[in-house]
Amino acid sequence: MYKKLFLSIIFSLGTVGAFAVDVPISGNVQSRCIITTDTPGVYGNPNAYTLTTATADGGVLPVVRYDVTLADAYYAEITTPTAFSDSPSLSDTVTWTGSTEVQSLSDATGMGSYETNKVTFGQTTQYDLTASGSTWFKSTSTATYGGSKAFPGGTYTANIEAICVAK
Amino acid sequence: MLKKLLLMVGLACLPSYSYSESIAPYYGTTGNAASTGNSWSMEGVLPTPPGLDINGVIYDYTIQKNVDDSVNVHIQNENAAGTGYIFRETDEWQSGSLGGTEIRKVVPVAPGIPRTSWGQGSIEVDGNGSVQDPSVVYMYKVDPCYDPQFDPNCPGYEIPVPVIATPEIEIYDATEDEYVSLSTEELILLEENEEILEDEEEKEKEEAEKRKRQLRLEQALSIVDNSEMFANSFAAAQQLAALDAATRVSQYYSLTIPGGVYNDTQVLVDKKIDDNKQGLRNGLAQQLLHEQMIQSQYD
Repeated sequence: MYKKLFLSIIFSLGTVGAFAVDVPISGNVQSRCIITTDTPGVYGNPNAYTLTTATADGGVLPVVRYDVTLADAYYAEITTPTAFSDSPSLSDTVTWTGSTEVQSLSDATGMGSYETNKVTFGQTTQYDLTASGSTWFKSTSTATYGGSKAFPGGTYTANIEAICVAK
Repeated sequence: MLKKLLLMVGLACLPSYSYSESIAPYYGTTGNAASTGNSWSMEGVLPTPPGLDINGVIYDYTIQKNVDDSVNVHIQNENAAGTGYIFRETDEWQSGSLGGTEIRKVVPVAPGIPRTSWGQGSIEVDGNGSVQDPSVVYMYKVDPCYDPQFDPNCPGYEIPVPVIATPEIEIYDATEDEYVSLSTEELILLEENEEILEDEEEKEKEEAEKRKRQLRLEQALSIVDNSEMFANSFAAAQQLAALDAATRVSQYYSLTIPGGVYNDTQVLVDKKIDDNKQGLRNGLAQQLLHEQMIQSQYD
């Protein structure tokens, strides 16, 4: 008799105190592919109508580093500039050329074939990051002003786009 | 006034800060060990402080090879305390990898390898290729308290006890000093004194020898006395035994047997002696046994 009474009291209390709760579930996905600018590029100006990163022409090659902690999970896609992000007003067209290649790597066995296996489409170069570790990519970029006209004086800035694409 | 106070506080804090820093482990890197070639001695690369522990090697170089060639490059240090290598990292440049590619690598090293074990370092190339612009840098950690006596704050520090050298004291003998001039009387006195001392020493020696001789003689005499005592007691015992025997014999010599007839004193009254029944039983039993034994020969 006493036990029944006790249970009924608890039940009534539970009924009175019932309410809905949303329990949050949060998670954090840490990127296994980190892109870092190792060396910012500099355009040299060997002649009035050319801007180039070639070292021989007074430029500095931009270098980007990919740090991958998960092997065979990403592509590195690096696109050399096709336009200035900042420049004086230009009245003529600019012709862009560029290329990317492996400068350094941290695993000779796993990354040694990156350069031979790369795929290039347009200004974009794609590498299959099959090994974990760090890889440094250097790019060249050349801008030639239309009709061999001289670039107007000012500061010119262009960006290389480096992205990590999950497979 | 406030500035002075702050300055004093700062000065008071400065020694304690620098003191604790002096025993804290610190990290560093060497220069490029391969700057002069593909082989190097660690004595010229590692800094001098004791307690140095190498914890990693950073190296980079550019491989020069044909695309179709396979080349192995070893970055290594011989084991100075044994055979083989204490550190060896191999890069396998397989066919398909392009020449002119640079490799940059950081290789951790398990701590605790004594610096004396780090032998000759080198870059070795197996295959048709070469390395260009190599750089090999060693990362290390230095524990100043490797030697606890480095600093009083180091664990295990023992307060040093100065070693005091025991001075050699030369006993000055004026008599042997050639620069000391003694008078004739003093010399005579010295000689007499020496003679007296020598005589006393001789006497002491003689007395000691005499005491020893006496002791030996006493011991020998005591042995003789013991044997003599034994012989005397044995002779006395023999004399007593002889006297005793003589006394017993002399009793018979002194008696006189009177003459006449000596009749038997024992008289058999009933003139018949019955057989002993127990003996009869015993005799019969023996007889039966005897007969059985004889009979057994024929059975």
